[in-house]
Amino acid sequence: MTGINDLFLQEMEKLSLDPASVQLTWQDDILILSGCLKCWQQVVDVGHMAAKLPGVKKLVNHLTSEDAPKKEKRDISTYYDKDEIDRADVVIIGAGVTGCGIARQLSKYNLDILVLEKEEDISCGTTKCNNGMIHSGYDSKHGSLKAQMNVKGNAMYSQWAEELHFAFHRTGSFVLAFDEKEREVLRYYLENGTKNGVPGIAILSGDEARKIEPNISDDAVEALWTPSAGYVEPYEVALALMENAIDNGVRLRLDCEILDIQKEEKKAVTLITSQGKIHCQYLINAAGLYSDEIAAMLDDEFFTIHPRRGTLVIYDKENKGKIHTFSGQAPGAYSKGGGPQETPEGTLLFGPSAKEVPEKDNLAVDQDDLDFVINKGMYLVKNIDRNTLITFFGGNRAATYHEDFIIQCSEKVENVIHAAGIQSPGLASSPAIAERVEQLFLTLKPDVTKKEDYNPIRREKKPFRFCTMEERDALIKENPLYGRIICRCETVPEGEIVDAIHGKVPARNIDAVKRRTRAGMGRCQGGFCQAKVLEILARELGMEETEVTLKGKGSNILKERTRQVEEDE
Amino acid sequence: MKKEYTCIVCPRSCTLTVEEKDGICTVTGHSCKRGEEYGKNEYTNPKRMLTTTVKIKGSNLRVLPVVSSDAVPKEKLLDCLDYLYGLEIEAPVKLHDVVLENILNTGVSILAARDAERME
Amino acid sequence: MNKRQVDIAVIGGGPAGLAAALKAKQEGFEKVVLIERDKELGGILNQCIHDGFGLIRFGKQLSGCEYAQRYVSMVKESGVEIYTDTMVLEITKDKEVYSVNQQEGAVCWQAGAIILAMGCRERTRPQVGILGTRPSGVLTAGAVQKYINIQGFLPGKKAVILGSGDIGLIMARRMTLEHMEVEGVYEVMPNPGGLRRNLEQCLNDYHIPLHLSTTVVRVHGKKSLEGVTVAKVDENRKPIPETERYIPCDLLVLSVGLIPENELSKQAGILLSPVTKGPVVDQNMMTSVDGIFAAGNVSAVFDLVDYVSKTGEAAALGAAAYLRASEKEKGKPVPVEAGENIAFTLPETVEPKDGKVTFYMRVKKSMEHPEISLTCDGKTIKTQKLLVAHPPEMISMTVDWKEEYTGKLVMEGREV
Repeated sequence: MTGINDLFLQEMEKLSLDPASVQLTWQDDILILSGCLKCWQQVVDVGHMAAKLPGVKKLVNHLTSEDAPKKEKRDISTYYDKDEIDRADVVIIGAGVTGCGIARQLSKYNLDILVLEKEEDISCGTTKCNNGMIHSGYDSKHGSLKAQMNVKGNAMYSQWAEELHFAFHRTGSFVLAFDEKEREVLRYYLENGTKNGVPGIAILSGDEARKIEPNISDDAVEALWTPSAGYVEPYEVALALMENAIDNGVRLRLDCEILDIQKEEKKAVTLITSQGKIHCQYLINAAGLYSDEIAAMLDDEFFTIHPRRGTLVIYDKENKGKIHTFSGQAPGAYSKGGGPQETPEGTLLFGPSAKEVPEKDNLAVDQDDLDFVINKGMYLVKNIDRNTLITFFGGNRAATYHEDFIIQCSEKVENVIHAAGIQSPGLASSPAIAERVEQLFLTLKPDVTKKEDYNPIRREKKPFRFCTMEERDALIKENPLYGRIICRCETVPEGEIVDAIHGKVPARNIDAVKRRTRAGMGRCQGGFCQAKVLEILARELGMEETEVTLKGKGSNILKERTRQVEEDE
Repeated sequence: MKKEYTCIVCPRSCTLTVEEKDGICTVTGHSCKRGEEYGKNEYTNPKRMLTTTVKIKGSNLRVLPVVSSDAVPKEKLLDCLDYLYGLEIEAPVKLHDVVLENILNTGVSILAARDAERME
Repeated sequence: MNKRQVDIAVIGGGPAGLAAALKAKQEGFEKVVLIERDKELGGILNQCIHDGFGLIRFGKQLSGCEYAQRYVSMVKESGVEIYTDTMVLEITKDKEVYSVNQQEGAVCWQAGAIILAMGCRERTRPQVGILGTRPSGVLTAGAVQKYINIQGFLPGKKAVILGSGDIGLIMARRMTLEHMEVEGVYEVMPNPGGLRRNLEQCLNDYHIPLHLSTTVVRVHGKKSLEGVTVAKVDENRKPIPETERYIPCDLLVLSVGLIPENELSKQAGILLSPVTKGPVVDQNMMTSVDGIFAAGNVSAVFDLVDYVSKTGEAAALGAAAYLRASEKEKGKPVPVEAGENIAFTLPETVEPKDGKVTFYMRVKKSMEHPEISLTCDGKTIKTQKLLVAHPPEMISMTVDWKEEYTGKLVMEGREV
């Protein structure tokens, strides 16, 4: 391995970093980096560099940086004494779109499946802060697992949308080129995309592109066109998957964090969770940003997740119809990130940006991200009023240093499958990922039988906001709660909020209600309806209003009553 | 002694100058009688209207907004509030029903600022 | 779906809608309906428990609740048909109003005239570009006011307020009286946004500091608010990094402006003013769509509720005249230009007709002893002298209008 060490030293010099600040250790075929660097970006740069060295197939990056917040070690000793609370044939860790997709895929078998999610709702990680794009698959490097999963997953979305009744618009997407250098990139994409099997991929002139999408910048000279790209609302997809999975017998535990995993004879057996011990026969790691930590609990750490933050900006749906397809730009002036698109809901979405950050759970938006996303979007398309901005927010991608998906059976633990490193285009790939995990599972347990009553269809429910007045009239006659509008910006009636609270995946906080119903997602951002939603949550869940949270434990909105006069009874 | 105040009587917010000579206050800068009176008061015995809410029982409202019948001395305002915060009244009430008479011997009454219906 | 004919449909039961409905009824119309989305009439006044309302309208200082109650009682007695907990979802330029409520489902009201009185909404955190995380504990001033004054809950123990508009100042005092700590009020502009009397009685009385040319740049805390970073801003309102300061707090109150709510107006194709963000109206408060009128904050954000009520009455009188006129022809409205130092006037247009026209306007900068004058083709129609004029304080001026004022109309304000 001395060859690698020398190469590493040379590369460190190229990065102008002190080679002595990083220690290399080999553990079997895994290269482990440790030490401390000045800033986080250097940690990521070194990780990426090391992953590219010849022969480095598995990279664990334990480097820290001086500017990164120190991680506090949590005392979990008391949790080992808790009782066993549950057991299942298959435990899936993580209820993002990956975990939900896998749960639904496996729900057709005669298995007791339990999904564990550390947050109070599903899709609270990467899934919720996602631009909802179903990529066509032109950019993932040919031969990568990503490329394979992306193109396949994209094609499978039509069936998913049909069976699960979520909004899916197959609108196509553009990558724009503004100069000769960018045109070259388009030609590379065309070649790569063709090899990946992207249907209908072609290069159009700027004018041809503007015929399809009139608000593309006049300065764009050429565009890569992939008609198979589309959009979804990502949390809606996850919810649809999980609801259908639950219909088919899957169980879900929210607020259930994995703290440790106990093994017996090369098998994961007992999960130490925040709720108690849970016994499993098979374990699927779909923990997203935390999938490396789950792997470490299994003594199977062979990759590291480095969060890459994206900032997204939403503009008012008064812009509806201005843009129909996604427009990105060939890497050049802007090296990474997305561009403008219309969401299925009709709002306009700009972004995401891409920035390496040290904390997995810190979704703060910085000025440079925000400026980047807005300026880039405004550059790519025209006729958008900046003042129609409604909101912006950040989300972290779960990237590995090899920047590819890891979907495989564990090499060290016999009953474990990892579905990790699922970042962009993870949403687009999720149907293919679910299918691949299913195939892997069948290799572990070939004797599993299919259910006779498996139902892949999730009942369609048209949102009130899309109903005609006649349909609304009928809905209200059936359930008067549909006659009381709680969120005026998005036309959400109390009935939909109550349904969400008592849904198959119950909405237990303000944001969870928002993701299901859109209450608070509009232009007033909950200014008017939050107090009402809070009241309904308290009433329906039988709790004090001071106990209602914005986004789970520790995010209470009201602190105390103003008048605490003693009851004189 | 000469002091300047911003009049709070109306939105016009006049700048008042109050000059005291031998116990007699002269106000300038006002544009109405109420402003002149406010200026004098502000110099000698500043007062404020009191508005807050009190706990109400058996009502469609959770708390009842109340208002003082007249301004109360500024230095007694917080004591008055704390006193009111310990109070619970019973629905129904009508606008300007007296909720509490002569609060802390100020001579000022506390009135309901709106109707509150009875609801069990 | 139920379909009903009415003379006048008033959308919104806040101060503008209450005044409009009452006046319309007093004008003798049989069917006047008042449609309110909340469970009771009164609008935002119900949460304004503080005093300072009604001096012009009732000649008496009233609290917001008292002001509302007076109007609500009058409206209830007047015979106006009241529909609360009823939400208007659509209006058309043919004056159809579609509403829903629990008892009757969807209803289509075919109105002779519509008065829009939906009020305004608050600008939000993203609209002022505050960076950082999205924890609980960041609320608009109106939401805080509702939680404290209506629901009876405290949303925090230690607050920072961004924005020195009247609502921000009122909430500074209100929270202090509820024994919350108010660390300070921060204002990005070099001048306070609220009335001077509110600076006096809401901040100075309680020694709450006001920091001008300073803004909140960042919010901290993953789940709930832990603190904010404030910074001074330069003349272009850009934060100066060296002046950043961290303030621990559990509540950030945003009082950063109001926007007229005109989603329904847009549906009916009503022309909106880019300055006021409300419909362009004439002296009868009629919008660009014949028979649809606007009243109160939906037309422009007012500082005084008394003016809001007055525009409601004006709209009702306008609607009454519109319904009575045998031929619906009218003179082409003439625009009034906001000239030197005038941000906007309401109405923005005047139908050439003899009568009294009341203009409401805001100045662009503070002026001592200004003269507000209206000219027609350079000839002065009316001049009004004031002691002072400040941008937050609306000015009202009533003009005896003559039909022949059809030239270039300009409103100007100058210090003399």
